[in-house]
Amino acid sequence: MPLPGGVAEELRRIVGRESVVDAPNDLRIFERDGSIEGAIPDAVVLASTTKEVSDVIKVAAKHRIPVVPRGAGTGLSGGAVTIRGGIALQVTRMRRILEIDPVAQTALVEPGVVNQELSLVAAQHGLFYAPDPSSQKACTIGGNAAENSGGPHCLYYGVTTNHVLGMEVVLADGSVQWVSGDAPDRVGLDLCGVLVGSEGTLCAITKIKVRLLRVPPSVATLLAAFPSIEAASQAVSAVIGHGIVPAALEMMDKVTVGAVEAHYHAGYPTDAGAVLLVEVDGIAESTRELMDAITDILARNQGYAMREAQTPAERDLLWAGRKGAIGALGRIKPNYYLHDGVVPRSRLPQVLSAVGEIGEHYKLPVANVFHAGDGNLHPNILFDLRDRQVLHQVEAAGEEMLRAVVELGGALSGEHGIGLEKSAFMPWIYSEDDLDAMHRVKDVLDADGILNPGKIFPDPSRKPIQLAGRTGLAVEAKWW
Amino acid sequence: MVSAPTVEKPASAEELARRLHDAASSKLAVVPVGGGRASGMGDPAERCDVLLHTTRLDRVIEHSQADMVVSVEAGITLEALQAELAKAGQFLPLDPFNSPGHTIGGLLATGWTGPLRLRYGSPRDFLIGIRVALPDGRLATGGGRVVKNVSGYDMMKLHYGALGSLGVIVAASFKVFPKPLHDMTVSSGGGWADAERALATPVAPSALELFSDGRVLARYTGSPDAINRVVKDLGWQQTDEVAWKEHASRAPERWARIAVPRERLREVVADLGEWWASPGAGIAYWSIGSDAASVKVTRAKAESLGGSLVMLAAPDHFMREAGAWGAPPSTLELQQRLRNAFDPNHVLNPGRFVV
Repeated sequence: MPLPGGVAEELRRIVGRESVVDAPNDLRIFERDGSIEGAIPDAVVLASTTKEVSDVIKVAAKHRIPVVPRGAGTGLSGGAVTIRGGIALQVTRMRRILEIDPVAQTALVEPGVVNQELSLVAAQHGLFYAPDPSSQKACTIGGNAAENSGGPHCLYYGVTTNHVLGMEVVLADGSVQWVSGDAPDRVGLDLCGVLVGSEGTLCAITKIKVRLLRVPPSVATLLAAFPSIEAASQAVSAVIGHGIVPAALEMMDKVTVGAVEAHYHAGYPTDAGAVLLVEVDGIAESTRELMDAITDILARNQGYAMREAQTPAERDLLWAGRKGAIGALGRIKPNYYLHDGVVPRSRLPQVLSAVGEIGEHYKLPVANVFHAGDGNLHPNILFDLRDRQVLHQVEAAGEEMLRAVVELGGALSGEHGIGLEKSAFMPWIYSEDDLDAMHRVKDVLDADGILNPGKIFPDPSRKPIQLAGRTGLAVEAKWW
Repeated sequence: MVSAPTVEKPASAEELARRLHDAASSKLAVVPVGGGRASGMGDPAERCDVLLHTTRLDRVIEHSQADMVVSVEAGITLEALQAELAKAGQFLPLDPFNSPGHTIGGLLATGWTGPLRLRYGSPRDFLIGIRVALPDGRLATGGGRVVKNVSGYDMMKLHYGALGSLGVIVAASFKVFPKPLHDMTVSSGGGWADAERALATPVAPSALELFSDGRVLARYTGSPDAINRVVKDLGWQQTDEVAWKEHASRAPERWARIAVPRERLREVVADLGEWWASPGAGIAYWSIGSDAASVKVTRAKAESLGGSLVMLAAPDHFMREAGAWGAPPSTLELQQRLRNAFDPNHVLNPGRFVV
């Protein structure tokens, strides 16, 4: 559906002729994010400044056209998908690190700055940015703030919201506001805290002030094999119950380990029922002492074939396996549907066995690779999109897995967001009154509902999911 | 003549929501009360028809030791909660001033914290679920009982520090922490120089407090080998942990919280008389003399640095003269609209909060 007459011209006057995309073929590039559902925007606007973002939103507000802020498009819940059409407001040209203050240990960045790039630049000052989603080589800080992203090291360091000090945002009327800032304990309501994780439904983010941390002088990383997921889960609880909160505590199941090992040759034990990747950091004395204690606890909980990275290169290889695990799964099937749910940590064995049964029931292979320390599971349902019949099965299996998560006292999403993917399931965990309270916030900040409409809140009018068009990288790589 | 407010002490969240709704329907002004430890915060209430106590809501709803998650009713005291957690070798890293006697609901509504904030952050960082009674009688829950959750808006942030201006917190869930393997407190008399030295140690202290007389109290927690090395390098005197308990009991008659970017704290407190501070967090507490004008001077300095000076307690006349909050936030209009969406008749704590 094209934009109403004259709107494209208004947008071109704001950002320049070349920065508005509305040719049908070009728009297809912006159809999706990292999730399974897509929708083609009516126009894409590539903004370069806060003023441009503000002016674009003013135009959208005037014509009541949906606006969906978009970063790198790596999100996994459909947050950047223009499900109601309208404008995809692309901010990846706003990619300057405006300031790194080594004394205050803060950085001021534009929303299009890539997560890993910030840590690489901050490293010159002995600092790093802690939240580290697995997509950190591509995902943007703006997207991270909008989704309140997590990552393996959030077990110890906390998720994005714990590291955002303040933001410059553009509200639904196009006004520009700073929320929070360098000083702690601001007077008034914590708008910044509410806007982080609001998935583009309350504001567009144009600047982010984040906290940086000192790079720990010593890091120790250990890989341990376990006969089963249950045994590995038990070991995770034992480590934390002992009073040790490692920097990261990641689990991979047998299916994942097989794919990772075939791809990365990182020395993962392929006979294991599950593998744990444990990292501690600090000064040499503490990492040595903690790693010795952890090794001991893991051994007492059926851990074997334990291997500590001896060099930074070995550590990088172990992490490459973990962070690249999803890509490696392409060796098994060309497509995946990556789910995200959180359960109380002690329920991990139960939920994973339910996930396994659901996969078997639908005859779909499932690979688990996840943040065990947080109870944040990521089942990957593997399938081949060339078999069109399989899609309904994939969807149904995913929904059942999520249902199992909720029934065990969990939440719909630990770090990917609700977006489009899970909005229909919100009533599973929230009452009408709970959702009503959230909706009051939405109504105050975006009365006309132009910012990322159709997300987070259940939409009774919505058609079933359209899993169209996506071909996996694995097919292109000719692994079949 | 002003009549004395009605005192309500509901025994359940549902009953509290009903009482709140009843009062709100009659446009009666409601002042929620927990332990009363932070009751001096804010401007004097314009009206107070109903004192709504949460103290009978004092249950631990669920403590899942293995998950390190606890859910409590809002009227439980911090001490009662800590006693429950201690049975499992766990704790909530919150050590507010004017202790003991704070309720969890009061601590969340006021946003009061203590020295451990340096290492663990504030409850803003470890509050994972919240249940709030709204003036229309509804009970609304946000978050959940898992340690990581992005399901819907972060309603915890909306109510944390909102001084009950949007609703009355009736229950909360927290991520709790294992008692550290090792916990050591050291002290020196070396003032700012020593404070900065300790903050720069390779293992950062979990708490570090600096006093206007130059005393420094630092707490190191974690791996024993690492702490022993750091403490040895510092060369300070080891001190009994009880020092922290004494410290947490502080509550001058007239006092304020000053919050600025941490690297600017020193210049703000330089001209003050009696104070203590957490230089690593950018927060100082000032025991104010009798001069309300001095509050305005210091507040202007803090605000010029993007910070704030908030009064925590003072006699009414002093509070009126100094003002509790200082400059309103730049987003005040938006914040007022948020308030109106939850409390359209301003029955909750009228006149006390900045919004």
